[in-house]
Amino acid sequence: MTASRTVNRGVKIVGLLALIALALAFPSLAPDPFILSVGVVIMSYAVLATSWNFVGGFTGYISLGHAAYSGLGGYATALLILDAGLNPWVAMLLGAVGVALLAVPIGIASLRVRGASFVIVSIALVLIMLLAFQSWGSVTGGSNGLRVPRPFGPEVLRPEQHERFFYLHLALLAIALFTWWAIDRSRFGIGLKAIREDEDKAEALGVPTFSYKLAVFVVSAFFTALGGGLYALWFGFLDPIFQFSILVGSYMVLMSLLGGIRSLFGPLLGAVIVGYALEFFKAQYGDTQFHLVALGLLLALVVLFMPDGIIPAVGQLVARFRPQAASIREQTQAELAAQRRGEASEPDRDDAMAVSGEEARR
Amino acid sequence: MTQTQQESSAPVSTGRSLETNGLRKSYGGVTALDGASVTFQDGKVNALIGPNGSGKTTFFNCVTGMIRADEGTTTFRGTDITTASPHRIARQGIGRSFQLCRIFPRMTVMENMLAAVRPQSVWKMLGSARDAADQERARELLARVGIDHLEHAEARDLSYGQQKLLELGGVLMADPDTIMLDEPAGGVNPALIDRIANLIRSLNAEGKTFIVVEHNMELVMSLSDHVVVFDRGRPICEGPPSLVQNDPRVLEAYLGI
Repeated sequence: MTASRTVNRGVKIVGLLALIALALAFPSLAPDPFILSVGVVIMSYAVLATSWNFVGGFTGYISLGHAAYSGLGGYATALLILDAGLNPWVAMLLGAVGVALLAVPIGIASLRVRGASFVIVSIALVLIMLLAFQSWGSVTGGSNGLRVPRPFGPEVLRPEQHERFFYLHLALLAIALFTWWAIDRSRFGIGLKAIREDEDKAEALGVPTFSYKLAVFVVSAFFTALGGGLYALWFGFLDPIFQFSILVGSYMVLMSLLGGIRSLFGPLLGAVIVGYALEFFKAQYGDTQFHLVALGLLLALVVLFMPDGIIPAVGQLVARFRPQAASIREQTQAELAAQRRGEASEPDRDDAMAVSGEEARR
Repeated sequence: MTQTQQESSAPVSTGRSLETNGLRKSYGGVTALDGASVTFQDGKVNALIGPNGSGKTTFFNCVTGMIRADEGTTTFRGTDITTASPHRIARQGIGRSFQLCRIFPRMTVMENMLAAVRPQSVWKMLGSARDAADQERARELLARVGIDHLEHAEARDLSYGQQKLLELGGVLMADPDTIMLDEPAGGVNPALIDRIANLIRSLNAEGKTFIVVEHNMELVMSLSDHVVVFDRGRPICEGPPSLVQNDPRVLEAYLGI
């Protein structure tokens, strides 16, 4: 058991190092600036999906309206630069803090409902934002959009811009992943996962479920807003119809579900697959809506065949080729019989009559 | 045995553990609780029995804050907990199990136990859940309920009986003074019923108060010190098992004679 765990840990560390090396080398491996820009888009999706997964993965609350926070993060960054004259990076950070503060009342209102009701409330939020930002033209530029000043001077050419933003997104992704990992192993994380599994039961055990949900919701909004702000600085232009789009929120959900919402790297893997697929279909089929059909099919396949996502499915596949773990019933019938003969007067230690491990496994 | 358990084994007894006064709850036209006033004794095994639909589980849910009573009050050791949220009631010292066993299916047995640990500060909340002392205590309790060998198993892979034991272990992990069990013997085999009964007896001997809803009369009569009989949402009779057993109102409620 211990030896196999050491091997497991070794494999994980090697895998992680390979992943980091690959990510760091990507800009120099990319054949042209277009592929590099696709890399930036995928990294941006990875940041957003990982940020979404703070709420989705830990608590099981599926928010389809997380684009509200990325959009708000983008606009807050742009407006703080344009109207308050702040340094772009300070603006991005302050914008995200502002969005996190705004997420407190939104969370208090929306986290009171569960399941489908929560999904609908989250969609309503992004639609409200869309209407507000389209109508409030004097500040947001309305449907004409808003040009975001670039943080790097004109001497930095486009390919280098892409490279820099690729690494910036990578750094933000690393911070988000680290935070997710830290929560995952904490007592807070155990409480959140208990909420995901059975909220009433968690509450009955003494977990302050509402405070826990609200706290992780705010963390999620903060990282999503940072992702939105960084994207805005890279892309340089904001239009409410794209920023506050249900599609963007759906992408975050699809990516996370595809990779596996209970896995640290699930949303990242999902972002790489879906992000690449989106760009591929757009490149192949232009402005048609075929990429949406393809994504719909992908989502259906995932839900049908890999409801837990790719990472858990692959994990289970690998586990099949390993020596089988001990049954949950550790004592054999012969051992039990011997034990019974030995201590006929004592109540038996093991749940002998209960369903055996093999039967109980679903 | 840990320090906290030793401390709680000698509770400051006021004689009354949990007290309800005129608890009323209706679902549409159905009155589930009809002015239930009950007092449970501290340090005893109290049983709550009654025919199906007599309001026992609704009573449990109202007392533990899972549903809000329409009228009436609940006090626990002198503190009014009528409108408190379930986690606050739990933190007052009431632990409960559910009629249909509820565990966290996609978490390991150990994680199920650790979920009941209550961090006392934000710093501790952000600290590792795999605290050595917490894990040691979880292992002791798992050994006590008899499933310590399943520590690494996913809870959903356990048999129903084992899940019941895990649920009880989780409740104990939170170290409550009063433990409310909703049909602990429901759906489990006779050997396991004996084990659960022995556990209740030994925990009670250490000072834990029990309030048990149960249909297994043999178990109720052998285990409890005090029995409260519910019918149509209110207590109709209470007292020691021997007295309740022969009360004509109880026979009428159960058998219609």
